[in-house]
Amino acid sequence: MRRIAAVARNTFREAARNKILYSLLFFALALIASALALGELSVHEERRMIRDVGLFGVDVFSVLIAIFVGVNLLYKELALKTVYTILPKPIARWEFVLGKWLGMMATLVAQIAVMGLAVAVTSWFEGGTQTVDAALVKALWLLLMNVTIVTSVAMLFSSFSSPFLSGLLSLGVFVVGRSVPDVRALGERIGGAAGRMLSAGCAVLPNLHLFTPSGSTIAGQHVTVHGGPFVGASYLAWTSLYAIGYSAIVLGLAMLIFRRRDFV
Amino acid sequence: MIVARPAEADAAAPPRPAHASAREVVLRADDVRKTFHLGFFRKRVEAVRGISFTVERGEIFGFLGPNGAGKTTTLKMLMGLIFPTSGRVEALGRAVPDRAAKRRIGYLPETPYFYEYLTPEEFLDFAGALCDVPTAPRRRRADELLRRVGLDHARGRPLRKFSKGMLQRIGIAQALMGDPEVVVLDEPMTGLDPLGRKDVRDLILELGREGKTVLYSTHILPDVEMTCDRVAIVVGGRLRSVGSLASLLSARVLSTEIVLRPASSPAGRGGPPAGDGAGIPALPPGGRRLPGEGDVALELPAGSDVDAFLRAAQAGGAGIVSVTPRRESLEDLFVREAQEKRDS
Repeated sequence: MRRIAAVARNTFREAARNKILYSLLFFALALIASALALGELSVHEERRMIRDVGLFGVDVFSVLIAIFVGVNLLYKELALKTVYTILPKPIARWEFVLGKWLGMMATLVAQIAVMGLAVAVTSWFEGGTQTVDAALVKALWLLLMNVTIVTSVAMLFSSFSSPFLSGLLSLGVFVVGRSVPDVRALGERIGGAAGRMLSAGCAVLPNLHLFTPSGSTIAGQHVTVHGGPFVGASYLAWTSLYAIGYSAIVLGLAMLIFRRRDFV
Repeated sequence: MIVARPAEADAAAPPRPAHASAREVVLRADDVRKTFHLGFFRKRVEAVRGISFTVERGEIFGFLGPNGAGKTTTLKMLMGLIFPTSGRVEALGRAVPDRAAKRRIGYLPETPYFYEYLTPEEFLDFAGALCDVPTAPRRRRADELLRRVGLDHARGRPLRKFSKGMLQRIGIAQALMGDPEVVVLDEPMTGLDPLGRKDVRDLILELGREGKTVLYSTHILPDVEMTCDRVAIVVGGRLRSVGSLASLLSARVLSTEIVLRPASSPAGRGGPPAGDGAGIPALPPGGRRLPGEGDVALELPAGSDVDAFLRAAQAGGAGIVSVTPRRESLEDLFVREAQEKRDS
């Protein structure tokens, strides 16, 4: 455990000293703050606008950070040859991969917490009385689960390909993963071999649509982050299980690839 | 060229511990081969072609070879960074990779790269944690090692601001964080200035005195002659020689270097060429005058009657400054092995 924690701590430290991450965080905070101006343009929908734009900012930037850092996590260790110093020490390769992933997740938790706080502060500026409610916390939790999967996918790709290709592939998985219900419906509609292929793709790719449920109907109930009923504890529990299970499988594949790799 | 002979090296090197003569094998490569498949067309490259050797407890073992000989690939196989295509590698009696064995081995990779955003203290703390060293002893050990490798003054500076020599030192320090029994150093003298080289050489000897086993690869042959108990020479992915320097190097005198002070030049400046007076006798066939000013340096081929030559010089009034028989050096052996491989 000490070894995994050491790798995780070092990964977090690396992210905390990465200027590019701060730039991304700055843009996210700027976008969230811009919701104040957008709120002024809407009529009596200021709080709604702030929460929509704010959560959109958290979603987009957390995914960008997950992909940007995730694809570099293993690749950089190989390209910079830092791995040559680490792996001869009494650490298993799977422990190294898990430590990197945990460090990345700690980074994302911190980033999402800062961005969530920014959403709350922006709402407070707008004069909201209840700036942090259960719906906001649940929505942020779901976005964290979303990037858990995205990070794992990015790490899997980075275990065997370049950061550019890994980034493209991870972005592709994210875009299609968000559209899984639409792609599945399309597959059912067109039928035949192409339809079956689309359905099979939906079965393999992560259903990231689960993590942005606001505006959908779940168990016959319309859910929203804007004051109405939002998802319950059972939804949070099974989507979290889904995210952790999917990540575990993908991370397991990354570990398998990493385990047999020659570090020339 | 003046090369330290094994006898001199022994005199310069501090006494080795008694267990240096023990025979426990700590590292073993048994008919190890590694073939890479490179590029789009999977071109086959045989980097290591059946290397077998052992490193025994307490010895300092030099791993020599020209560039591309397969030294780093072999060391990486011993460290579990590369998997052999065939053959077996063992560390401390266990098949590589083995966590228990890795805990007792420290490794410095060739041209090491570290996390440049860390300070030496943070980096050593990280290395210690990976070696399962608890927090308090880890800090003590990091302090001690920073002093030992001469980086105490730079403990708060990020590694990105370190010179090549400083990085090499911190690399050696991280290899020692787990207080290993076996230390494997891949080209530890690369990129170091003469002072840095001496420091590393002294450190290697110090590790040897502490009873640690050291295996290191290098191109710098005089250092090997001064530090190593045994050496292996690898050429073209094959082991050409392995053994103690005394057993590998021929005791036969290859030539004798004589320095004379000419009779007509008491100050020793601008002496005439050999054999044309001033007490310098004629050189035997195969002999030559070595370049240089002042005293006259001559090289007599093997089999020359050195005593007769010196008597003639003295009879002519020349002074004898030095007489040095030149035996086969490690460089001669190295060049011979590399040459034979090239010829074959």
